[in-house]
Amino acid sequence: MSETGTGKTEMTARVGVYLCECGPNIAGKIDLDKVMADILSESDRYRNVELVIRRYGFLCSGPGKQYLEDEIKENGLTHLVVAACSPRDHDSTFMEVCSRTDLNPYLYRIVNIREQCSWVITDPEEATERAATYIRGSISRVLRQSSLFEKPLEINPDAVVIGGGAAGMEAALALSSDLRRVFLVEKSASLGGGCGITMPQEKAVIEDPNVDIYLETQMSSVIGFLGNFEIGLKSADGKDEEITAGAIILAIGSDYSDPQESGRISFSESDEVHILAEAERTLEAAGDLKLRDGTMPETIAVVHCVGREEQGYCSGVCCSSSLKLAAAIRRLSPETAVTSVYRDLCLPGADGENVLRMARESGVELIRTKGTSLSGMELDLEKMDGTSEKRSFDMIIPAAAIVPAADTVSLAEMLRIPLDEHGFFKEAHRMTDPAGTTTEGVFIAGTAHGPMSVMSSMRFARACAGQVLTRLVPGERIVPEVKVTEILEAYCTGCGNCLDVCVYGAIYADTDRGISVVNEAVCRGCGNCFASCPSGALRTRHFTNEQIFREVDEALR
Amino acid sequence: MTQAESILVIGAGIAGMKASLMLAGPARKVYLVERLPIIGGKTIKNEESFPNMECSTCMVAPIQQAVLQNPHIETLTYSAVESIEGSAGDFSVSVRIKARYVSLEACIGCGMCFEVCPVTLPNEWEESLIEKKAIYVPCSGSLPNVPVIDSERCLKLNGTEECNLCVESCAFEAINLEDEDRLLELKVGALILATGSETFDLSALPGLGYGALPGVYSPMEFERLFASNGPTMGEITLRGSGAVPDRVAIVHCAGREEQGYCSGICCMYSFKFVRFLKHKLPDVQVFNIHSDVCVPGKNYEDFFRSVNGGDTEMLFTSSIADVHVSGTDSGLRVAYPDGGGVTADLEVDMVILAAAIIPAPLTARLAELAGVELDDSGFIRTSLDGSGSMETSRAGIFTAGTVEGPKDIQSTVIQAESAAGQVAFLMSSMADLTERDPSGKSVKS
Amino acid sequence: MAAVLPVGSDLSGAMNRFLKTILEKDIVDAVLMPMKVPSGDSFAWIIMSDSSIVDDAEAMAPVMPVQGARALRSLTRKGEGSIRVLALMRPCEIRAAIELSKLGQVKTENLILAAYDCPGAVPMDSFVSDPSSGEDLFRKMLAGEDVSAGEVKPSCTSCVEFSMTDADLHFGHFGLGGTEVLLIPGSPKGMEILEALELPADRETSIWDEAVRKRREKQVASRDAAFEETGENIRGVQGMLNVFADCISCRNCRAACPICYCRLCHFESETAKQDPNSRLDSAVTRGGISLPADRMLFHTGRMTHMSLSCVSCGQCSDACPADIPVAQVFSFVADRTQKAFEYSAGRNDGDPLPLRSFMKSELSGIHEMVSDAEPGGHAHE
Repeated sequence: MSETGTGKTEMTARVGVYLCECGPNIAGKIDLDKVMADILSESDRYRNVELVIRRYGFLCSGPGKQYLEDEIKENGLTHLVVAACSPRDHDSTFMEVCSRTDLNPYLYRIVNIREQCSWVITDPEEATERAATYIRGSISRVLRQSSLFEKPLEINPDAVVIGGGAAGMEAALALSSDLRRVFLVEKSASLGGGCGITMPQEKAVIEDPNVDIYLETQMSSVIGFLGNFEIGLKSADGKDEEITAGAIILAIGSDYSDPQESGRISFSESDEVHILAEAERTLEAAGDLKLRDGTMPETIAVVHCVGREEQGYCSGVCCSSSLKLAAAIRRLSPETAVTSVYRDLCLPGADGENVLRMARESGVELIRTKGTSLSGMELDLEKMDGTSEKRSFDMIIPAAAIVPAADTVSLAEMLRIPLDEHGFFKEAHRMTDPAGTTTEGVFIAGTAHGPMSVMSSMRFARACAGQVLTRLVPGERIVPEVKVTEILEAYCTGCGNCLDVCVYGAIYADTDRGISVVNEAVCRGCGNCFASCPSGALRTRHFTNEQIFREVDEALR
Repeated sequence: MTQAESILVIGAGIAGMKASLMLAGPARKVYLVERLPIIGGKTIKNEESFPNMECSTCMVAPIQQAVLQNPHIETLTYSAVESIEGSAGDFSVSVRIKARYVSLEACIGCGMCFEVCPVTLPNEWEESLIEKKAIYVPCSGSLPNVPVIDSERCLKLNGTEECNLCVESCAFEAINLEDEDRLLELKVGALILATGSETFDLSALPGLGYGALPGVYSPMEFERLFASNGPTMGEITLRGSGAVPDRVAIVHCAGREEQGYCSGICCMYSFKFVRFLKHKLPDVQVFNIHSDVCVPGKNYEDFFRSVNGGDTEMLFTSSIADVHVSGTDSGLRVAYPDGGGVTADLEVDMVILAAAIIPAPLTARLAELAGVELDDSGFIRTSLDGSGSMETSRAGIFTAGTVEGPKDIQSTVIQAESAAGQVAFLMSSMADLTERDPSGKSVKS
Repeated sequence: MAAVLPVGSDLSGAMNRFLKTILEKDIVDAVLMPMKVPSGDSFAWIIMSDSSIVDDAEAMAPVMPVQGARALRSLTRKGEGSIRVLALMRPCEIRAAIELSKLGQVKTENLILAAYDCPGAVPMDSFVSDPSSGEDLFRKMLAGEDVSAGEVKPSCTSCVEFSMTDADLHFGHFGLGGTEVLLIPGSPKGMEILEALELPADRETSIWDEAVRKRREKQVASRDAAFEETGENIRGVQGMLNVFADCISCRNCRAACPICYCRLCHFESETAKQDPNSRLDSAVTRGGISLPADRMLFHTGRMTHMSLSCVSCGQCSDACPADIPVAQVFSFVADRTQKAFEYSAGRNDGDPLPLRSFMKSELSGIHEMVSDAEPGGHAHE
């Protein structure tokens, strides 16, 4: 029981304080006996509190944990403070010990007197004093902590895939089984996306009994959280449908930049300038690349890196696609001279090398430039030796940059996920969580994430599928974060500060009551909102003002 | 645990750890086998990783801790797989857990035993830039923080003399020189091969001076030089002289011609090195000798631009294979054909070679053991059906990370997640389909 | 471009008639204007739908007893309501209302915000003690006659936002010789009103622009001088303590402030309650502490919470029973904090509240600002 001072009968709190020696790591620097004595000597500062203070060798060891468990039970401890190493190392260890007893794991606190004390303070006296300070602060804090209870939630193992291109289809196939349904939602009238060639997965997806395909349909609304999403779908003819799923995979693909947004490139509609994707499609469909008047071009230039400077990134796949196209044109019509103009050749991997060899062997002329500009049908090439050359071509094929799809913005708003500085969906962590987003349960695959090859798109799709397959197992439940923030209606003025700063989209405005409300299943307890509220209307469980301020007060005494 | 509920992951780098964490749970046990005495792989050898320039150990430590504390992951360090038999859903694997001579339970990582050991030898983890004792952890911050004894160099274990100094120094009786290798026979349903890669052996390029000229560094050597827990505690001082370099040349594409492919990440780490140099030595002059700048994807160009023009001078060479490094009285000379085809000369104090990424030396043997195909470059082959599958040529055996080909951390994690997903899928379908006879052998229904 | 309202001899009367007309023509359902209280020594905000009552109201009151934004806050706190209201207020009141609308406390969908060129206001205490002198003074201020700075509400001598063309409708009368008023529409809502009244916005405003510019020049100089003095007075911790030494912790400044919208102020919350032993310990450690203990912290805390939205209306000084120049200090701080984020409180230009939007570019320059502020100090990295 915490201090109440209300005149009601107060129960005595029994706070156990256990100091871990950690071999010489702690006991070698800190005089633990002195710490214990100092704290005990002031124990009358705490009203209605009995302190049990002990030291032990290695609390994290098997016998150590058993010792703690026995101590909690035998002493009837109501609160526990463990002074040991970093919470990173053993917070969960001691929480697990508590869960073996009647003591709620959230009525315990770990104090780091190793990494933050013994290991960094050279003077033993100072280290001893500091350890006592930290521990006293924690006692003050733990007395103000409350029991918290984890509530496992049932989950829906189904998945929604938005976008029926290479990434979307791969995700659908990777997930398809009779354990879950996959809803594949595609905006256009057919699957296949931006690839320009028919993907082999299309047939498999269409025939798959576990995949429900929605063509000419878009996602119109979404509420919920990992394991429990409610998704509104709207078809092109205005029909609405609602489906439920546990995860959402965004595979909406991308677009191409306008070559003319670069000041260096200008041409008119009548010029024979066709962007790479268009040329690829024409070549696949017609078998050759003719000029508008039906004749074959004698000279073709494929210009790499168009849009790289303006967009601020290298799209990574255009060198490969450009050289493949150049080689293909040469093979199909050997009388046509094909020139590839580039700044850097971005051809990673053995596949990249093969493409380069193929281009060379098929007689593609490769010119490296420092910069290239286009006016009409004439290229101005700034060569590496500093000289400049102007050349005209019958046809010019600029390889434009891959840019975010138009729907990226509206979907990001709908799902409350941020966009990165280039306008693509922003991943949860560039390196360690590239397929996830800040909204748990929403994943990104393919070029919706950023420019990448078809193979990478498929791998990303499988990674998203992997997350769904391992986290949403039919029959298993998930336990949402319990140290979340709640908003006290009495004090909330609905100003919306918290809503705006929540990166997880966990707060929504209740316009009827004129307040903001936290969706506890989505909240991750980061505390951003807590800091933004001038009213103190938010309480982050386990990190209340009371707990923190009193810990600091006590430590600074 | 039946076969359908156990998985073996070989390699505890970021790919192996990520896959293990995704798969481990009450219904699935993961055996994580790692050749080295510690987990973490190559990433923890970098002080910072591009493009975030995030402290690598800070980024990876939570993952390492999660692995070590997960009750459903059995981490077997200092271990090697000796045989793999069987088929998808039903593999028999034997693992040799090498004798560590130090108890994982009793040792608290105090380091007293290092001080007293009389034997020193080069520390390969630190690229031999520093020495270690016969009883050692590879680096400070090792996880698990428990040493091993090199049985070939230990005086007692190799029979030279009756040395018991480490045993006597240990207050926790954690050292047992009678320890023996253990053989573990495991039955698992699927495997993930995540054993990583290596950097090109630069001694095969005598024209670049590596090995002969002390001022010429391999990329891993430079990573360790800059690392705050490394041989020089992060100070950039030249081998031998201890002097601080004023001019540094970074030569790209070392080994590209020989390997026949672009490794895709070396330009990025070269620019990372520029940042490292300028951070520690604000007045140093840096030169990047390059041909093509390969920085694909939305995250990389910004990084390149941040160093280009300000922190480093980009020197284009028309032929990366004709770059030549030689010694002079005062330092090093880098000769390279410039954009006009003329040979330019650059006088510097230090040269860092950006080496290609190649298959690790043990990959071929692992492939043989696992019965999986390699591609023409020696990496493990996947996606034989043209899909994004991470399955190898042998059903039930998957792969992830740089053992499959050179790649960055993001792609490594993506592959690990894909492979884990495929394994989870396989396991759940196996669980439906297979029955077991009393001996545990599966009987497909 | 603006529409024109002929004034005759009485500017205030013309504005009253204008509002009456709007009501009569059903262009709005109600107007919110000040009206003199029965005792004659103050004014109250009255929302009226009966156009005949408008005759008793005064478009431009000589004093600002209750900040107009507080009146609007109490009206629309729970939603926009279904009737259209035109509120005629000083620019600082409109600006405060706009800040509050960004904070969800004032809903502007059915509100038309109208401002006028404000010559300043008479301090509350001097008006209450002698209303007729106060009214004379205000008449002089409206006519542009010279008055001694000491007679005017202090914040008003430093006010540079006395004109507000981004209100829905602005009554511009400076420099026009008292014969006409420009009706400047600042938004589609404002335009709609003019169109409904069939008043073409075809008059160009250069004479008025020039008068406003000249006045702003003078006000800026006056403000900068005031800021310099204030800056010196509050320099360092001791400076602040000296200025706030007379504070009796009554919280009047907070009550009068339109921006302080919290239902429970942090300083009255549970957290602010300290354990008696902790207080006694502080007293022992420092030799002595004053009680109530958070006197200074209240002010710096309030600054932290509201200075980015502070519109320098000066109500806080007016309300202070201890005559502490609260507004001068808060205005000085607000000027600097808003500049740090390149934010101007009260603008309706879509600029989001700085504390809610994170822009990496804003992080640089902060430590230079801090180092400039400290006497002989240097920035901590």
